Amino acid sequence: MNTQSVVAPAATPFGAGWQKSMMWVFIVTDALLFTGFLASYGFVRLASASWPNRAEVFDLRLIALMTFVLISSSATMASAVAAAKHSDWSMVKIFLSLTLVGGLCFLGMQAYEWSNLIHEGATLHSNPWGVPLFTASFFLITGFHGSHVLTGLIVLAVTAIRSATGRSTMHGVEVAGLYWHFVDLVWVFIFTFFYLV
Amino acid sequence: MSETDSKASYKGYWITWGIMLVITAIMLLGDSLSWSKPAIVGLLLVAMLVKVALIGGEFMHLRFEKPALIWAVAGCILFFSAFLFILIAFDGLRIARMLEP
Repeated sequence: MNTQSVVAPAATPFGAGWQKSMMWVFIVTDALLFTGFLASYGFVRLASASWPNRAEVFDLRLIALMTFVLISSSATMASAVAAAKHSDWSMVKIFLSLTLVGGLCFLGMQAYEWSNLIHEGATLHSNPWGVPLFTASFFLITGFHGSHVLTGLIVLAVTAIRSATGRSTMHGVEVAGLYWHFVDLVWVFIFTFFYLV
Repeated sequence: MSETDSKASYKGYWITWGIMLVITAIMLLGDSLSWSKPAIVGLLLVAMLVKVALIGGEFMHLRFEKPALIWAVAGCILFFSAFLFILIAFDGLRIARMLEP
């Protein structure tokens, strides 16, 4: 009996490794979850007689800085993946560290933004701007995104430690990168729909 | 892999980063344009989709994957998003019309 044919993992239908394919499956399901949240937010906005003026509620300079930091961290993450493909592990460590710093800065700024809004009287069920669903959807969606950023930071920290100790692989860095870019991608939608439209 | 190849691959990501920053700046300046609201929203949506395509295609390397994976990922998300938004939009607009004075 040929045992090798029994235990050898089959090739994925997408021609990518199983790790990467499963991360893509996770990203699709998570993207559909955010789609549900954003569709609900769209419904709430359409069905509301009035909506607070975003320029009066948010500090757009802070939001622009948050966006800059997250886009930059995505670029450093992509560079970490490229370095891993070239087996340049010293550069992997540098780029992963920069990505971690970017993620931490983003999370810090989000906490600052939340604390400002809470200080002004915003809660999940009421706010000074007269539309309770405004802050309910804001805290829910940005909070859910923030929890993804936090998860991404933990994944990146583990990947960075594994890289530093020589236990990480190119595939490990690539899969961590896919997750981090997904977090950036979701922010593009939140940035547009919450802060600009 | 030579050092030149390595630098060339980093360069591509930083060019994408620069393009995304320019698009973000355009989005932030959208309000200062003397355009109608639907035109500004249209500009924002197009800019948003370009950024999404850049992240998915360049940073996530989706454009280098097999067409089966591209369709499974992008097709699934786009189809269900459009389905959900269109279904909800009709009801939302109906309620908005009811709320009109």
